[in-house]
Amino acid sequence: MAKPVVRKPKKKANPLKAAKVENIDYKDAALLRKFISDRGKIRARRVTGVSVQEQRLIANAVKNAREMALLPYSSSAR
Amino acid sequence: MRHYEMMIILDGELDERTVQPSLEKFLTVVTKDGGTVDNVDTWGRRRMAYDIKKKSEGIYVVVDFTSTPATAAELDRQLGLNESILRTKILRKDA
Repeated sequence: MAKPVVRKPKKKANPLKAAKVENIDYKDAALLRKFISDRGKIRARRVTGVSVQEQRLIANAVKNAREMALLPYSSSAR
Repeated sequence: MRHYEMMIILDGELDERTVQPSLEKFLTVVTKDGGTVDNVDTWGRRRMAYDIKKKSEGIYVVVDFTSTPATAAELDRQLGLNESILRTKILRKDA
């Protein structure tokens, strides 16, 4: 019988803790840029490695920043 | 009375020196109704991530103020009427 491959998810280091960020602010475009892809999409939590609560705050902050033209809605890299 | 944070994007073609006086004129609405303007932070001219009203640059200003909800709504309304103001956003930091 084949042994099921058990993949151990590698725990990512929380990038917010590394950057010592306490409250996520939509004005901090430089920080939020770490959480969007080249095309301007919000990166998934499994990529960013932040908590559920933080991911929600980040998503809201990115959306606010987009409204104020601090971040792009989409950047056509191609 | 509530604490608000407002970000304003003004037309980037304006002279940055004229921004301060015209902004103060708008903010008299807050002080007249018994509110206070706590802090005005002018970021200056900045390239926007996308064009707004065919403009690619804007002057960003962040204003912290305390006022009643009605006053905040009135300030937002008056700013929206002005042609040289591209966009505004009012947020309550504590909410």
